[in-house]
Amino acid sequence: MALFRSIRFNIYVGLAIAIAAAVGTLVPQTPESPANVETFQLHHAALSRVYHFLGFFDLYHSPWFMGLLALMAFDIILCKLWNRPPDPDVVSLPPEETNEVEAEKHLSMKAEALRLKPLKAVLVAETPYREAVVKAREILRAKGYHLREEFSLPQGSAFLATRHRLQRWGSYTTHIALVVILLGALIKGVWGFTEMIPVLEGSSRAVQNIPQWSVHVDHFRVRYYPGTMNPSSYESDVRLTDGEKLLAAKTIHVNDPLDYRGVRFYQASWGAGGMFRKVLLEIGGKALELAQRRAEALPGLPFRVEADMMLPDFTITPDGRPDTASLEPKNPAVRFTFYLGKNKTRSLWLFMNFPKVCLVEDEDGRLSHAPPPPFHLAGVEPILFSGIQTAYDPGYKVVAAGGILWLFGTVFLFYLHRRRLWVLVEPRRKGSKEEMGASPIRLSIGGFSSRGPKSYAAEFGSIIKTFEAELSGHAEIQETRNNIQEVF
Amino acid sequence: MELILAKAAFAFYAAAMALAFLYLFYKNDAWSLWMLRLMGVGVLLQSASFGFRLHSFWLIPENRYFLPINSFFGALAYLSLAVAAVFYFVEGRHRLGILGAFVLPWPVIGLGSALIWADPKTSGLVPALQSYWINIHPMVLMTSYAAFGNAFGVGLALLVQEHQIKSRKPSELCYRLPSIEELDDLNYHIIAAAWPVLTVGIIMGGVWAYNAWGRFWGWDPKETWALITALIYAGYLHMRYVGRLRGKKAIYVSMVGFASVVFTFLGVNFLSGLHAYLSGGA
Amino acid sequence: MNLLLAGLNHKTAPLPLRERLAVLDPGKTLHRLRSEGFSEGVLIATCNRFELYALAPKNSGRGAEDLAGFLEREAGSPIGSAAYRMENGDAVRHLFEVASGLDSLVVGETDILGQVKDSYALAKEAGMTGKVSNVLFQRSIFVGKRVRTETAISVGPTSVASVAVDLASRIFGNLSDCAVLILGAGSMAQTLARTLRSRSAKEIAVANRNGERGRELASECAGKAVPWEEFPKALAIADIVIASTSSPTPIVDSETVGRAMKSRMGRSLFLIDIAMPRNVDEGVHGLDHVYLYRMEDLETIVAESLKNREGELQRASRIVHEKASEFSRWLDSVMEGREISLTHSEHGEIS
Repeated sequence: MALFRSIRFNIYVGLAIAIAAAVGTLVPQTPESPANVETFQLHHAALSRVYHFLGFFDLYHSPWFMGLLALMAFDIILCKLWNRPPDPDVVSLPPEETNEVEAEKHLSMKAEALRLKPLKAVLVAETPYREAVVKAREILRAKGYHLREEFSLPQGSAFLATRHRLQRWGSYTTHIALVVILLGALIKGVWGFTEMIPVLEGSSRAVQNIPQWSVHVDHFRVRYYPGTMNPSSYESDVRLTDGEKLLAAKTIHVNDPLDYRGVRFYQASWGAGGMFRKVLLEIGGKALELAQRRAEALPGLPFRVEADMMLPDFTITPDGRPDTASLEPKNPAVRFTFYLGKNKTRSLWLFMNFPKVCLVEDEDGRLSHAPPPPFHLAGVEPILFSGIQTAYDPGYKVVAAGGILWLFGTVFLFYLHRRRLWVLVEPRRKGSKEEMGASPIRLSIGGFSSRGPKSYAAEFGSIIKTFEAELSGHAEIQETRNNIQEVF
Repeated sequence: MELILAKAAFAFYAAAMALAFLYLFYKNDAWSLWMLRLMGVGVLLQSASFGFRLHSFWLIPENRYFLPINSFFGALAYLSLAVAAVFYFVEGRHRLGILGAFVLPWPVIGLGSALIWADPKTSGLVPALQSYWINIHPMVLMTSYAAFGNAFGVGLALLVQEHQIKSRKPSELCYRLPSIEELDDLNYHIIAAAWPVLTVGIIMGGVWAYNAWGRFWGWDPKETWALITALIYAGYLHMRYVGRLRGKKAIYVSMVGFASVVFTFLGVNFLSGLHAYLSGGA
Repeated sequence: MNLLLAGLNHKTAPLPLRERLAVLDPGKTLHRLRSEGFSEGVLIATCNRFELYALAPKNSGRGAEDLAGFLEREAGSPIGSAAYRMENGDAVRHLFEVASGLDSLVVGETDILGQVKDSYALAKEAGMTGKVSNVLFQRSIFVGKRVRTETAISVGPTSVASVAVDLASRIFGNLSDCAVLILGAGSMAQTLARTLRSRSAKEIAVANRNGERGRELASECAGKAVPWEEFPKALAIADIVIASTSSPTPIVDSETVGRAMKSRMGRSLFLIDIAMPRNVDEGVHGLDHVYLYRMEDLETIVAESLKNREGELQRASRIVHEKASEFSRWLDSVMEGREISLTHSEHGEIS
């Protein structure tokens, strides 16, 4: 148990997570790119078996990686809830005020205790004791300090004033926030799902995780930046149905999903799969339409032609076969197969963007240059699909709450300077109560800041100046060695 | 105009860096002051250059209201600007004079490589980036990277100083550099200030990802490396707190962290993934 | 008019003679000088030198030998070859050399410039300066500054103590945060402690085998005494440790320091071992955050910096000579009643 509570051990856990995560970015991952995983396995058979055994191909969902994350969450909870802080000033637990104040009281019993503070000052002033105590309080309040405790001591009055006490919660909040975020991820892992649904324009598909639901894409539109093939936006008119019942309908854009009862439908991707409605040919100045996969005789030509395949972004593989570089119709090419009677004679690739180029594909599917036929490809109307990412994440609200918690936690922890001042006001003349009340005073101040010793020294100086002015006294500031601990 | 201003800014940064290097070897406080002034002019010029970039972005209707950091040029330019601005802040606050030689090379290299290798043309935002988050998430992260770059420079200075004193044959440089403890504290303070920015930036990215892609976290290479960076620096912060790790070893850890920053920013583009947006590279 | 110089310094005169002159009241000496018929006079008196610069009317027939005679009477004992006597151009060059620190025990030291300034101010107050000595001394201060900015003659530490302080400040920054621990009670340790004190080191603790002697030293440098047995514990608190015990074997080993470092939370520790034989084991230097400098390391640094200063001597002399001959020309022109102007500079020392 002591091992899990040691922060050092937690550092090692964090390190292990970091290394594992790094490995995951270097090895192809099945959820992201199954094709790359297959290629990798093809080339490194032996290594692949090791990787497969270690779960490297789906590293982030492998049991041991999950285990590491869980271990970290467990350790954080343990560390934060059970580790005793080493110093009453360095409290990272939910502050147990009583203990700390007890400790403080104990220290404040002696003016000597102030000597322990990194910054201290002694002020000798003429203001009568009774008045000075009231004024000292006012000054501290005006400086934004919160008077925590006041006590009467045999030698005078002492009080403890604090500022930015939230800082002490910073470490606690930050760590809990991390656990909350992990918890949210866990909720998603157990009850949530994501799936990619590519839907051809004008058709529909069932949601696999909720089979009674269907996603319809009635229209899909893509717009380009002028003069380029870079899309500036794309959107789908989506309907969600349960049998005949319409559940929801919306035009979804990237960054603007459809939300139905927590299940969200995102416009994630789009493309041309190779289907097309029709092909436009130009033959001797006349336009002609061909539907997909229907061989037709062309006017004045002895053979029939069939448009049987389209590649949206034509490219040639290293071994000379046709392929597509992407799913966007950046360089559409159509394969025409020629028939004489019933016999296939040859297959030609024609390009919309390059009317003079013509490639012939042989029996093996290899390409070579050929003289163009007496027609050219004037246009093709591909049937686009809309990639709809469907996700249900019941943990998101938890994660978001954790994120907000984290924001506050880190801001408290790193940007707030928790400051405390211990002030002791003593009458310089002892005697009866009356005499003491009218006596000139000595005022000792000790200060502590959780960070920023320099700016704190400046603030301390300005507080002392105010004390000097208000109490008409003279102070001496002593700065002891900066052993202020950085507080987590 | 944008390019001219960027080149002018580059010239000013380079001149400031030259002064900083001279200052390493010849003590003349005027140089350190002029270094800071030249830097200041450089920052202003580059801000103006960025302003022109904003304007040309504004002219593309879909990009209006979004910041032009979707290209290598824009990102590098912003990063250099941020490094210079953070340095200006740190130097103005601590007045150490000497640190310029360790920090200024970064904006010079950053802006220089942007000018040489990157395509300065502004291109339209892909639909996924058309969200107000683009004005927040990458900016927040790159600002933290800039701060880490500064901390890295401070770390370098500390290593030099440590070596000087350990060698028992301190040169002039030793008397010019700030003390080991000051450099150590400064390194820590910069990292402690930048780390929350980094982590909050990552979480913001998660929120954006949830709204754009349907998942908060997807172990995309860029996300993962940003997380690795955060983990390394978290390790640094904890080691300094718990292990009382200071000086050379702490600097080594923070330098590993910075290497991870550089890889997150540049290297990840070779790993592809959803974040491979930066266009117009070499 | 003649510019005369009679004086002695650490190179020419033995210490007793310099001591005898050092106790004189400069104001009174100057007064007596005037009654001897010298029209202007400035006295530079430091622990290393005693120099009288005076102006004698041309027709008075007085020369540097007469000024030396005056010096002898002031000292109350024969001076003979212990004093140098110079006139006009030579005297000017000598003054410029003095002001530039070329004639100092530690080449290029900066105190002498202030002392020249003070001497001049005192003479001015005593009404012993006139046109020539005003211009001469302001010029010498200008040359002294010029030499120091244009050459590296004043760069680098010149004493073991100042090296130690410089290094400490390169490790810890502000010394006011630093606690000093002295092991033993050697005189060198005292000097170091005082230097550190003057640079506002936070507190000084002394641990000595002989508790009595330790307390003495502690009270001398306003520190506190630590029982000898507790010095390993004190290592955890101290930042700068000066070891100067007469122990024949090392008393601080890497194990002791290693243990102390554990509770120092990574704060650096600077050890200065000025004892012979060594007090601190060499292995200590190999520990992280621990910097051990031995006497010879400090001496090497001093020697190095002195060597650098001496390397600058030639350049410095060139400037001094140039300025001295320029001034001599001016002096001649003044004596001949056709004053030429001196080159001015932004330092504007010419009134």
